[in-house]
Amino acid sequence: MKVKLTTKILDANERIAEENKKMFKEAGVYVVNLMSSPGAGKTSLLEKTIEAIKDKVKVGVIEGDITGTNDAERIDRLGVPVVQINTEGACHLDANMIADAAKELPLKDLDLLFIENVGNLVCPAEFKVGEDVKVMILSLTEGDDKPLKYPLMFQESSVLIINKIDLKDLLDVSIDKIKKDAQFLNPNIKIFEVSCKTGQGIDEWTNWLLTSIS
Amino acid sequence: MHEASIAYELLNLAVNECYKNGYSKIETIKVLIGRATGVVPQALLFAFNALKEDTIAKNANLIIEETPVKGVCNDCKKEFESNENYILFECPNCGSFSVNLISGKELNITEMEVS
Repeated sequence: MKVKLTTKILDANERIAEENKKMFKEAGVYVVNLMSSPGAGKTSLLEKTIEAIKDKVKVGVIEGDITGTNDAERIDRLGVPVVQINTEGACHLDANMIADAAKELPLKDLDLLFIENVGNLVCPAEFKVGEDVKVMILSLTEGDDKPLKYPLMFQESSVLIINKIDLKDLLDVSIDKIKKDAQFLNPNIKIFEVSCKTGQGIDEWTNWLLTSIS
Repeated sequence: MHEASIAYELLNLAVNECYKNGYSKIETIKVLIGRATGVVPQALLFAFNALKEDTIAKNANLIIEETPVKGVCNDCKKEFESNENYILFECPNCGSFSVNLISGKELNITEMEVS
């Protein structure tokens, strides 16, 4: 016999992401899904950001990596709660992994939760985890051709942080081209230029973040 | 895209649905895949056939129906339709990336034959 259906195949992840979002909202936590290529500076940005705002808001972090606890140890040194997820091969975090990791955090005591996704400019953009905002980093050393080569990440993100701008005189990279192409793909994208090494531009970013939380 | 994960989810859903209706064998599964999902039908079929072996869907055929991308451009206001694989959401009339998709993101099971 025939059975008629209208079931979404990826419904499971979307459903769990919605449940996560509800849980975070009830706990009063603003959630940032932070995505980029490997080495763009996700953990460095978190270190700079947490140092700048930890007296104003209570921050927690979920670290996603294929293997290892290096990043969680870096965050732990700042004295904020952190949970490390090892995906053991998976190239992105999904909603179910976040649901499990969130149980290890004192959500009710937090104002802001960063989810540092697996370093990858492709797959994390396709999976919701229950975040309020998707923030991506592109570092100058990756080149100014990346927005048009990895369009989905730029289209899905609400914020683009251009990192390593202290290197701009050493590289044949146009920041204007990155901004123009990112805005072409996503006219509403908010852009910050920072250097996690020198601290340049971090204030503008953290001010925006604090305004978004409140 | 993640065709193997999608095939796995698809099989799980189909097997549960089959049992729920009181049957124990799946003959066919029809799915609707939008061309804006980035899913490659051949890769989905390959993953499905590899994963179905030890399940009640082991003799099942997967029938993949693809739907075109339809959208409206926020700049030139024109509607457009494309049968191409469409992961870069660009208006074919004026080149704007400010478009709203009406269809093309489907990833659904639409029908099963069970016995």
